[in-house]
Amino acid sequence: MTQWCMRMPAGMLAGCMALSVPAVQAADPLPPQEAAALLQRMSDAARRVAYEGVFVMQHGASMQTLSIVNRPVGTAKESRLAALDGVEREIRCSETGSVSRVIEGGQIKLEKRLNSRYFPDLLPPNAAALASWYHVKPGERVRVAGLDCRQIEVSPKDDFRWGYVLCAEQGTGLPLKAVMVNESGQPLMQYAFAEIRIGSLPRVESRGLSKTEQTAWTMPPAAAATRPIMLETVSVKNLPPGFSRITAVKRKLPNKPEEVEHWVFSDGLTHISLFLEPALQPIESIRGQSKQGMINMAKRQVGTMQATILGDAPWPAIEAIAMGLEARSDAATR
Amino acid sequence: MKIHVMTESTMPSQSEQQNSPAESRHENLSALIDGELSDGMARIAITQLGHSPGDLARLGEYLAIGDAMRGLNTRHDGFSARVMAELENEPVVLAPVQKKRESRPTLWLAAATAAAITWVVWQSNPRDDLAVPLASVQQTAPQFDEASPYLAAHQDFAQAVISTQEMRFTKASLEIRP
Repeated sequence: MTQWCMRMPAGMLAGCMALSVPAVQAADPLPPQEAAALLQRMSDAARRVAYEGVFVMQHGASMQTLSIVNRPVGTAKESRLAALDGVEREIRCSETGSVSRVIEGGQIKLEKRLNSRYFPDLLPPNAAALASWYHVKPGERVRVAGLDCRQIEVSPKDDFRWGYVLCAEQGTGLPLKAVMVNESGQPLMQYAFAEIRIGSLPRVESRGLSKTEQTAWTMPPAAAATRPIMLETVSVKNLPPGFSRITAVKRKLPNKPEEVEHWVFSDGLTHISLFLEPALQPIESIRGQSKQGMINMAKRQVGTMQATILGDAPWPAIEAIAMGLEARSDAATR
Repeated sequence: MKIHVMTESTMPSQSEQQNSPAESRHENLSALIDGELSDGMARIAITQLGHSPGDLARLGEYLAIGDAMRGLNTRHDGFSARVMAELENEPVVLAPVQKKRESRPTLWLAAATAAAITWVVWQSNPRDDLAVPLASVQQTAPQFDEASPYLAAHQDFAQAVISTQEMRFTKASLEIRP
């Protein structure tokens, strides 16, 4: 067992031991308990370990380089993600939430994000529950960003989610690489650190924000506006196994004058959005698919509402949610 | 019959051509059969045939040789006479002929084969993103231009930035429950 493991909290020990196992069991999924421990360890590391580095995200023909700084604060994290090429885009997360700042054409645009997770923090805080929906197989040791790590194959047990091949750093379990794969094992999207320092104090976050920075990150009221939904007119039956609703708010979308309802369903790793708004005319059912098939989308009419369902999920998951939508019969009378 | 007579001014000058006038005419005949003359030059060459029984006879020979090389057993007896008779009967125009490149069947076959292979490959890779021209897909697919606000909002939960142009839309067979 490594020195890193000796310093780990008790809950992370089991996962660390699993990582220390030689790759002789690569062909067999881990038993559920070990799988859960390993997933939880990787999830905890992404928030509880201090690190800073540069990673590359590749999707289809596009590639982007981003820098990330993360520092644990209590049970939460403080992190900053910045795009190093293209449009100046930065996301900061803290206990108070997640805010994105885009600078384009001299204009600074701030938006509140509903989610505060991004690579390498892909696994949910309660990652152990994923073991019910995914097989977990430890693979061979490889080297990423100059560090030793072990491949962990996280493959879905059904057709409702994509799989991942993660590469967990030997010492901490921090994912250094993540590849989202389809049912054939073909990569849909991948992230990989090119450079990383683990355990060092991040430069920027350690000194805190300057007054200018604090001002620049103060949210204007309009940008932060999300409202609870007072009266739900649609219900959803028969969600795919493991999925539950994690968010339901009213919010403004870019280039849309009226607020729409934004619901999010997730199994912890896969996220599917549902947008609801009044149908101004009869809606033709439409199916959409991104070029590589990673994002699937559907639009249909439910009662008097237009429903748009989309997510980084296989079509069966989108279709199941789309087909499970029903107009609430009690909505009109309430 | 009204036939435009080629004059010295309309003919290419000898200084422009290295060959003798007779050789040039023969080359023109060959190019005419191969469809390699411009429309204007083809019209001139055909007009000239009406004035030159010798060239007309040579044209018949060329056609016969071409047919023989392609394995065709076509007789051209009386070809010159028929053309002359047609010319006399035609009040009009010596319209530009549709160009046929029968003299190069192999090249045409090769080109057609290449086109067929390309088509088959294109058809067999519907998910090959770079090979499929999106515009042609969108012509028949239902439009959903307003998809971008939803794609943008979903990016709170997805890091890949997807634009509407990267999506393909088709009519779905989702049944609306009562």
